[in-house]
Amino acid sequence: MSQIGAESYEQIMAGVAADPRMDRDNVSAPAGAAASLSRLLLGAGAAGLAITLVGGFVLGAQHALASYVVAVGAVLAASLGALCMLMIFHLVNAGWVATTRRQFENLASLAPVALLLMLPALLIDLVVTKGALWEWMNPEAAANDFLIGQKAAYLNPVRLLVFFVLYFALWGGVSHRLRALSVEQDRTGDRFLTMKARFMSAWALPLTALTVAFAGFDYFMSIQPHFFSTMWGVYIFAGGVCAAVAIVILTFCFLQFVGRMQGLVTPEHYHDLGKLLFAFCCFWAYIGFSQYFLIWYANIPEETFWMLERTTGAWRGTAIFLAVGHFGIPFFFLMPRTVKRRPLFIGIGAAWVLFMHVIDYVWIVRPVLHHGGHAPTPASWWLDIAAIVGVFGIFFGLYVIRLGSVSLTPMRDPKLPEALKHKNYV
Amino acid sequence: MVITDLLADYAPFLFSRKAKYATEAGEPIWGVMAQFDDVVNAYHAAEKMRDAGFKHWDLHAPFPIHGIEEAMGIKRTILPFIVLGAMFTGVAVAAGMQWWITAVDYTGFTVQGKPYGAWQPFAMIIFEIGVLFSAFASLFGMLMLNGLPRWNHPLFCKDRFLDSSDDKFFVVVEARDPSFNPEQTSRFLREIGATAVELVEDA
Repeated sequence: MSQIGAESYEQIMAGVAADPRMDRDNVSAPAGAAASLSRLLLGAGAAGLAITLVGGFVLGAQHALASYVVAVGAVLAASLGALCMLMIFHLVNAGWVATTRRQFENLASLAPVALLLMLPALLIDLVVTKGALWEWMNPEAAANDFLIGQKAAYLNPVRLLVFFVLYFALWGGVSHRLRALSVEQDRTGDRFLTMKARFMSAWALPLTALTVAFAGFDYFMSIQPHFFSTMWGVYIFAGGVCAAVAIVILTFCFLQFVGRMQGLVTPEHYHDLGKLLFAFCCFWAYIGFSQYFLIWYANIPEETFWMLERTTGAWRGTAIFLAVGHFGIPFFFLMPRTVKRRPLFIGIGAAWVLFMHVIDYVWIVRPVLHHGGHAPTPASWWLDIAAIVGVFGIFFGLYVIRLGSVSLTPMRDPKLPEALKHKNYV
Repeated sequence: MVITDLLADYAPFLFSRKAKYATEAGEPIWGVMAQFDDVVNAYHAAEKMRDAGFKHWDLHAPFPIHGIEEAMGIKRTILPFIVLGAMFTGVAVAAGMQWWITAVDYTGFTVQGKPYGAWQPFAMIIFEIGVLFSAFASLFGMLMLNGLPRWNHPLFCKDRFLDSSDDKFFVVVEARDPSFNPEQTSRFLREIGATAVELVEDA
């Protein structure tokens, strides 16, 4: 593609600015409604977290911590999925995504917030409950358990907290900068900020990929420290992108329902977002099955016990539900073109995938409660629901605040002319 | 109807369509061909052809024209459903084959201490054969729906038609179209802007 001069560029962007679809009303969230919605969500979140805390005393610290980590894991993976997708969009110079990219930026910028939500659980288990959930956090675990002793060089509190700070610095810095560049471009119209974002994505994407994998080891795999899987990071990433795309689709369905983003997100954009959702559901299933299959085939006791707990006995039903609900149902539901192009249908699909994403984390984390003979009754699920409402309330309350604080779409992005007339010819 | 069409396309030595019309020289008429000199005229001619309700007709152009499928009123292809059917066939073939081999025919042949007929190792083969069948169905289904491969085409006997890969556009109506009539259709094509209209003999 040839470079165009500053003058003709100005002319093209003046055309975009004059487009009735870029009207201020259409691209900003309803101010009062956004504020009251975020207050409602934050209130529900605070109540949910309070109930979770109470549940910790009623049903035991391990149960409360597990329920809380399920919820935080779901939102952490979703925000990291959004961060990875955002950098991939920048790196491949994606044009169609220009009108929808702001929501990926909003979601990605919450990655450090989701990470901070993980901190209380880590500190409580390190200091107060001493390994109730993360077995290795018990100071005597390394001495009593040979395998944990061998892994002590990695599984120790100092390394955990140092890595926590590194993740926070990297994800916080990168997601904040990418969003800030995009918001600055709204104001100045400097097209070379796009190049800056792309340059930043080039070095930050591999680092983010590595830190996502290590965060997956730290917070979810080390709950059962004997277990290890080399596909763990990819599994976390795949599920996270599913959830991120689902949240973005739901955001646009909701915004269009209240009369915003009219004409900016067309069936063509829903179609492409739906393709991403479909593709990453398949990718998640591919990775999930590969992980299961290699463990099944190699038959090494250190690995198989984890899968056995989750695919036989009480958790067999959940495993089947996960395979059918996170892959089978979306695979056939999202396959027809007409489904992906209708906001109502794709919204239902996205809500379902988001629900299954939470079930995925329940399946990863919760079986640990059945591990040491302590088996909570089905009635105790209220604690899990309280934790999910609590964390999702806080997370989405902050998401709505982010969403309301800037315009809903980049205003002067050089890719806008392409995104505004985006069309799938197939 | 479909079967006779397929036979006429693929095995003309077994079955040929009876031509309804013949030229003055007595040759059976395959259809009529109209030349358009620029893309705008061809595009609008396509819209008028669509609105006039022709079924068996086509437009030949030296390059792809965006939006021509709407102008011609072409419906979306049924290929995805063919591919879906092929996928299910592949999945059933792979699952049945492996289950029969490991759980019925070769029982007693333990592999890696795994149970007979364990579904886990089937999954990859099921996936791969499902993909293979789908890929074949996409390629060969596409060729089939396009009427390919074929020995020859009546239009190839027309010297004028060579320009369709250079700078001319051709609207071609086949004689099997229900509303085809050599004189009326030729007149209609001239009315919608054709610069030359020619009858095409069956070859």
